[in-house]
Amino acid sequence: MEPVERLYLDALMEEAAVPERSLRPQLLAGARARRRPAAPTAAWAEPYAGRVAAMDALLASAVDDDWAREIVEGWTLQELVAHLAAKDGLLAASVGAPVLGPALDALDAMGRTLQVQEYERARSPEQTRRDWRAQADALCRHLGGLTPDTPATLDGVAGAVSDHVLARGLETWIHTDDAASVAGVRLPHPVPAHIRPTADLCARLLPWTMMLSGVDGAGRTLHLILTGPGGGEWTMPLGVHDTAPGTPDVSITTDVIDFCFLLGGRAEPESYPAEITGDHALAADILRTAPALSGP
Amino acid sequence: MEAPFDDRLLHQRVVGGDESALGEVYDRLSSLIFGLSLRVTRDRVIAEDITQEVFLIFWERPLAYDPDRGTLRAWLATIAHRRAVDHVRAEERRRVSVLGPRLFEPPPERLEETVLAADEAKRVRQAVTRLPEGLREAIELAYFGGRTYRQVGEELGVPEGTAKSRIRLALRRLADALAEEEV
Repeated sequence: MEPVERLYLDALMEEAAVPERSLRPQLLAGARARRRPAAPTAAWAEPYAGRVAAMDALLASAVDDDWAREIVEGWTLQELVAHLAAKDGLLAASVGAPVLGPALDALDAMGRTLQVQEYERARSPEQTRRDWRAQADALCRHLGGLTPDTPATLDGVAGAVSDHVLARGLETWIHTDDAASVAGVRLPHPVPAHIRPTADLCARLLPWTMMLSGVDGAGRTLHLILTGPGGGEWTMPLGVHDTAPGTPDVSITTDVIDFCFLLGGRAEPESYPAEITGDHALAADILRTAPALSGP
Repeated sequence: MEAPFDDRLLHQRVVGGDESALGEVYDRLSSLIFGLSLRVTRDRVIAEDITQEVFLIFWERPLAYDPDRGTLRAWLATIAHRRAVDHVRAEERRRVSVLGPRLFEPPPERLEETVLAADEAKRVRQAVTRLPEGLREAIELAYFGGRTYRQVGEELGVPEGTAKSRIRLALRRLADALAEEEV
């Protein structure tokens, strides 16, 4: 904005005024009708509900061309949204929440994705958006009545429902970022209170990403420092069966958002920006294998 | 000019679908936006409609705002101003058409990012030159010299609070002067 324009607007705003009746109640009611707020849910599922609302805000401004544009994995935006709905539906099925869309034939993520994509292809992008949002909100509502340690299985991985829903939040975040990049829109980060548990999940996944890649971290300890809002410090064992951390073998300092995106498969481990002290070879193994759980 | 941290956090919350953040934005900025709308339209009912619509647009399309490009206050003010000016022009056209055939076509819609057309910007600058010396200097330093209130005070040899009240007085005089000649 030109300085003279800023000056002009400031001059017009110098005489603040208040409407006779507060517009606040009708504003909030109107807002709810124009764009659905994040679904009410359990506190531990809020990072996911927030990412769903952010994706929906991005989809609200998508036009025909945007829906047909390829985003990732050779999928159009519509197919990508169907993929998110498919995996959300699988988590819903695992905890007894309503599963929307076509009858559940496949229980693996790729099979269910193909099934939902096929179903949505016959529908308009706007319907796909509504179907995905309805599935996500139904899941959120159901999670509101569960304890975080309720067991859940998604795509063969068993764990607490709270970890699965954080992973759904991370995947929704990453795909929203993918779509925003293609659309040339700058996506703001989640709030720090939502980044923190997501980063914590990513840190706790490291022993598994190493093991899945054939690296045994048993008996080794990592001191992880994630910087920026929502970051923190972790001292953690790197073996999946280790019960307690020892003296750190290596210390890795890096940006919290970069770290979440590394686990999400959106960074080059070779050129990944991190400050390392201690065992450099171990650090290289940790970073190289970190994207192992990221997939479509 | 980048947005302060507060704007970023509120923006993050609104993008994440947090309604209470919209309420906070409204509480913080609605009197400025309503004041601006009222200044331009001189109609309380229309100004209320515009104010409400501006905050709804922010809620519905929060990604249209980019904190790297300016403050939320300036972004909302730009939208309110455009809506208010559109209303005034539509009213003018309506009045003209009641009186008889149009003598000239209305100007085309202004560009998204432009608040003032070149001739309007020139009139604002001229109005600045007609301010009393002390007020004019303060405005020029703050807006065209990019100084903070504190720096304006230092350069004019007055306390920061005095610099601030001079700028505010100058802004008010400017708005009155421009209203008289109908920018």
